[in-house]
Amino acid sequence: MMEYILKNGIVYDPANGINGEKKDVMFKDDIIVDEVSADAKVIDVTDKIVMPAGVDPHAHVAGPKLVVGRLYRPEDSRMGVSQKTKVLRSESGFSIPSCPTTGYRYSRMGYGTVVEAAMPPLEAKHTHEEIATIPNIDIPALPLFGNNWFVMEYAKDKNIEDLAAFISSWLKISKGYGVKIVNPCGSEAWGWGMNVHGYDDKAPYFDVTSREVVMALAEANEMLGLPHSIHIHPNDLGHPGNVPTTLETLDSVKNIKKSSKATIRDQVMHVTHLQFHSYTGNSWKDAGSGAVEVADYINKHDHITCDVGQVTFDETTTMTADAPMEYDLFKLSGLKWTNKDIECETAAGIIPCIYSKKSPVSTLQWGIGLELFLLINDPWKVCLTTDHPNAGPFMRYPRIISWLMSNEKRQDMCENEVHKWIYKRTTLPTIEREYDFYEIATITRAAPAKIYGFEDRGALTPGYKADIAVYDINPNDIDPSKQALDIEKGFTVADYTIKDGQILVKDKEIVKVKESQNIWVNVKGWERQEQKVIDNIMPFFTQYYSVKWENYPVQDHYVSNPIRVDVEK
Amino acid sequence: MTYEPPITDYDYIVENCTCAFCGCNCDDLDYLVKDGHVVAVRHACRLGASKIMEDMDQRLLVPMIRDENGELMEVDWDTALDKAAEYIANSIRPVFYGWSETSTECMKEGLALGEYIGAVLDNQATICHGPSLQAVQNAGYPIQTLGEVQNRADMIAYSGSNAMNSHPRHMARYAVFCRGYFRQRGRFDRTVVTMDPKFSDTAKCSDKWIGFEQNGDYGFYNAIRAVLRGKELYQDVISGIPKEDIYELAEEMKNAEFGVLFFGLGLTHTLSKQRNIDIAIKMVQDLNKYSKWGLTPMRGHFNVNGFNIFMAFETGFAFGVDFARGTTRYMMGETNTIDLLVRKEPDCFMVIAADPGAHFPNGANQHLADIPVIQIDIHWGPSTELADVVLPGSFIGVECDGTSYRMDGVPIYMKKAIDKPETCRDDEWIVRELKERVMKLREEPNVAPKYVPNSNLDLAM
Amino acid sequence: MFSLKTITFDQIKTSSIALEMDEVIPDEIYSWTEADFAKYEVPIGNSRFPITDFFDITVEGEAEGPNEVKMIFNGDLNRVKYIGCKMSAGEIICNSSVDLHVGAEMSGGSILVNGDAAAHAGREMSGGYLEITGNTKEFTGASYIGEWRGMTGGEIVVGGNAGKQCGECLTGGKIHVKGNCDILAGIHMTKGIIEIDGDVNRWPGGQMKNGTIVIHGFLGRLLEGFVLEGVVEDPEDSGVVFPGKYIKYTGDIGLNGKGSLYLDAEANKEKLSTYGELDDDYTSIREYRNL
Repeated sequence: MMEYILKNGIVYDPANGINGEKKDVMFKDDIIVDEVSADAKVIDVTDKIVMPAGVDPHAHVAGPKLVVGRLYRPEDSRMGVSQKTKVLRSESGFSIPSCPTTGYRYSRMGYGTVVEAAMPPLEAKHTHEEIATIPNIDIPALPLFGNNWFVMEYAKDKNIEDLAAFISSWLKISKGYGVKIVNPCGSEAWGWGMNVHGYDDKAPYFDVTSREVVMALAEANEMLGLPHSIHIHPNDLGHPGNVPTTLETLDSVKNIKKSSKATIRDQVMHVTHLQFHSYTGNSWKDAGSGAVEVADYINKHDHITCDVGQVTFDETTTMTADAPMEYDLFKLSGLKWTNKDIECETAAGIIPCIYSKKSPVSTLQWGIGLELFLLINDPWKVCLTTDHPNAGPFMRYPRIISWLMSNEKRQDMCENEVHKWIYKRTTLPTIEREYDFYEIATITRAAPAKIYGFEDRGALTPGYKADIAVYDINPNDIDPSKQALDIEKGFTVADYTIKDGQILVKDKEIVKVKESQNIWVNVKGWERQEQKVIDNIMPFFTQYYSVKWENYPVQDHYVSNPIRVDVEK
Repeated sequence: MTYEPPITDYDYIVENCTCAFCGCNCDDLDYLVKDGHVVAVRHACRLGASKIMEDMDQRLLVPMIRDENGELMEVDWDTALDKAAEYIANSIRPVFYGWSETSTECMKEGLALGEYIGAVLDNQATICHGPSLQAVQNAGYPIQTLGEVQNRADMIAYSGSNAMNSHPRHMARYAVFCRGYFRQRGRFDRTVVTMDPKFSDTAKCSDKWIGFEQNGDYGFYNAIRAVLRGKELYQDVISGIPKEDIYELAEEMKNAEFGVLFFGLGLTHTLSKQRNIDIAIKMVQDLNKYSKWGLTPMRGHFNVNGFNIFMAFETGFAFGVDFARGTTRYMMGETNTIDLLVRKEPDCFMVIAADPGAHFPNGANQHLADIPVIQIDIHWGPSTELADVVLPGSFIGVECDGTSYRMDGVPIYMKKAIDKPETCRDDEWIVRELKERVMKLREEPNVAPKYVPNSNLDLAM
Repeated sequence: MFSLKTITFDQIKTSSIALEMDEVIPDEIYSWTEADFAKYEVPIGNSRFPITDFFDITVEGEAEGPNEVKMIFNGDLNRVKYIGCKMSAGEIICNSSVDLHVGAEMSGGSILVNGDAAAHAGREMSGGYLEITGNTKEFTGASYIGEWRGMTGGEIVVGGNAGKQCGECLTGGKIHVKGNCDILAGIHMTKGIIEIDGDVNRWPGGQMKNGTIVIHGFLGRLLEGFVLEGVVEDPEDSGVVFPGKYIKYTGDIGLNGKGSLYLDAEANKEKLSTYGELDDDYTSIREYRNL
């Protein structure tokens, strides 16, 4: 039995309303407690920031498209190569780091949980193999449902009960956590080289609109009472003038009632990388920011939460299940294009992408992202992401934090570094709001944990997992608006990262590597309906899938040591 | 072929086993087992069935060490493993080659050993689809799963690949003859084109054969790309193909609803090597402006893709990864097995589930004869003749379970159907044992005292 | 004039496994004395060995910075790789054929190789001067695999023949091959100049976007992606003029490329005969263009 006490830290724990109090945090083995015995080991963290370990609500860190990215971008892999040490294996990768590197880098930033945001069920085994290879962080994965042929059929027939049973069954099969929807109907249209345009466009052949698919999935999600709401990447990503589509998507679910079983979250829809969905105009020539409009909607409605997908001005790799959009990007850039269509389920596209401060479009995207952060008033509704690696690698989070905390830094960048579009096309230079540490803790930990309905992390509540980060920043001694670089430095490497009560990072060095855990949702009480659904789809599956049913589910040994979240009927 | 009556004399059937032969990884095989041996295989092609049924043919059963007279002598496991570990521990430039016919679970152990000692890990891609991977790295990788081909494709092109012989069920199960959701009439709903200098068996059952001249691939695809851009061809015959045929083919490809290009070693190993694939990929990308096209390399071994995928997610590079200096390094022509062997650099070579003796060029094998070679395999082959230590493994997908990746990247769990011979061990166990023994023999070289991030990361630290 | 520090490496032993010399470049060793070298261990495979086992090292003179360093290698360097890799200043002379990656990623200074070079010579150079008096193998002045930005500056001169895919993904700078060049010179290039004095067997400039390839010798096969522009005199690119008459092609049209390929008109006369009989002024070509 090990007991620890983190002494004299300055604690930010928004879930418990603790805002910068000097306070001791105690944990026993892997659990946070409110008292320890006299034998507890003391870790002196005097005047350092103590927060729950970070929770990343949306990143692409494991899975088939990641691996294709790594496989076809050796020039990215060599960018991050470092030598092995006694504790660490050799790192590699900049925007798409190898699995061990991913774990190390998140750990250094004080993160403890990262959600893998897109897992095709057919290749779920692969995703779980990668998750098992990433050390130090817990990783739930969201299976893709938005373009699944069965889902489209159920949505067309408005057969919500069978759809719920299907979801429940597929979460078990793929060991997934929640419902991810990417460009609903669009990726299916991409099977024929097409896309859908707008929320009410129909998928070819299936004769069903995105609206119908999203609403059906949202209803089924609430019928099951899953801890997380539907997690959507709306249609028309990255197209100038996509604000109406985005707002229609957000508005369509406002009358769907949140399940009473989902006690932790407030939303019925989480919309991801909203920055990419907040463009006005008709083409890139007259594109502008729609952030004001979108933020206004979110401020006025409580059924929506979002993460931003902030552009960080790096050479990165975009990868998304929105494959037609990737092909459009390829036509613009001409750089190497990768596509991966997955039978009856989804598609994915990947291309290298350079966000440059000199480019008007990149600047616009950067501005919109920050506008969203600053214009959405309630930090519980917005999370910090870069949609890693799409808008930038996750290791840039500290830099984003420094931008959010310093208006001076932002003004300086607008004036001296980025393209002049920032003044003409966005309102960013007029926004003076600055985040404080409490709000930063909210958007990087507390809010994501709440949105996902986690009952064991994202807060320093006794009984929760001992996932704690300590940063070498003294909030009483720093002026974030003037010392942006120090803020960035402080958050780049945590002084301590504690995961499940194990000290992984100590004095800014990784001292220990632990196995990661998958988190998946097990819905109970639907077994009979699940069997009925499987019996019904079996003839189709046998005929049109290229693997046998026996080979489709993720066998238990791929998910060694999982955290199972049971949802009672 | 003579008629063979069906086997009726068996103890039990194991259903839905996965074939451990080519990159098709057919997972619908039924094994008929009698007295602990597979006596018949249902659904498999001749290649797969014979490999599975004749698993005891020339089987390596006992560990062996080559003595001073040059004879392989049978020894116990401890002696053989110690000897192998000693070779690895004492080496300066070890190469661990193979891996394509074993499971990713075994690769994991091998990688740990390689990273520890600072070896080069490479697989059969280096002699087969390595050029494809290099081209993918230059041009991109528009692929799709095989079910997508089955359900949607109305035009199938095989280039430099004789699927009928090399991947016998490819056409039947995934690409050509099978009925798909949008292709209910199977073969009748699809146009099949074979681009190959040879009038192969695949060409014989195709609708169209484009017999371009040997080494003419690059010029041929370049011409198609030019035609897709609307250019008039100035030569009458390009790479042996009349220009009218090229116009016609380009038009047909543009008009397909969903086309797929499957390419094999005929494309990767002619004159312009990776550039053939490079331009074929570019052509497929161009075609996507008109319709939907994808491609898939016809991977040979059942887990050759698995190694590339495995290495990519573990280390960031797909094959030929050099850990010699405690970092990961990948450079074609420098860290690939053949180049290293021809340059006579390696001083220890471990081959697992591969047969360099049969596949490597002479110059490379000459060097293998001069250095310690450790073989982990199930069959006696030319490599056994080169080996100094022989460690008999077991048959993935028949005698032990494991994960493999199909040519399109779909992971398949290969289950165990029968027990392995008593004296053999699982590959995973063997490599883990070697790792543990090497760790005792030599301290880990090239360990940095402290983590130093790469300056390219531009971290504020 | 500054005083030069001359470091001479006289080989005393060869190694069958390549020595990796990326740490022994002027930028790192300009202040080193013989005693420093005696302490230095050079990476070979997974180990390190004293460099003095392989070279007798003599240091003469003093240097304030890398630009004052001159390194001379004598002996057999066929298993010594990464010579001058990532150097930014100074001078290296190799009196032997060298192994892989000579002058790779160099940004300044000069390297003279009196012999042949193995593959990847001058890979991703951004500046400086690399001269190889003998032949080079594949990927002279190329990019790292997967990288679409290759050599961006500097100059490579190859006295002999160059191997396949010379100047792959060239993004700037100049490569001058005095001998012949193997297939696919300048593939994927986007900028820069490749000048080839000898013959080329096939397909220069595959998928090139821009830049200039000049071939003074005979070209075997040309890709269909190149469009004949006609005969030009004294063409130039970035201030470099190539005197004489050349047949000009533009390509690679497959990707709307605007690269220029100049073939010596005299040596490639028969290429033009496809367009009818030629007179001295190549008028038939002009007619062809007018059609």
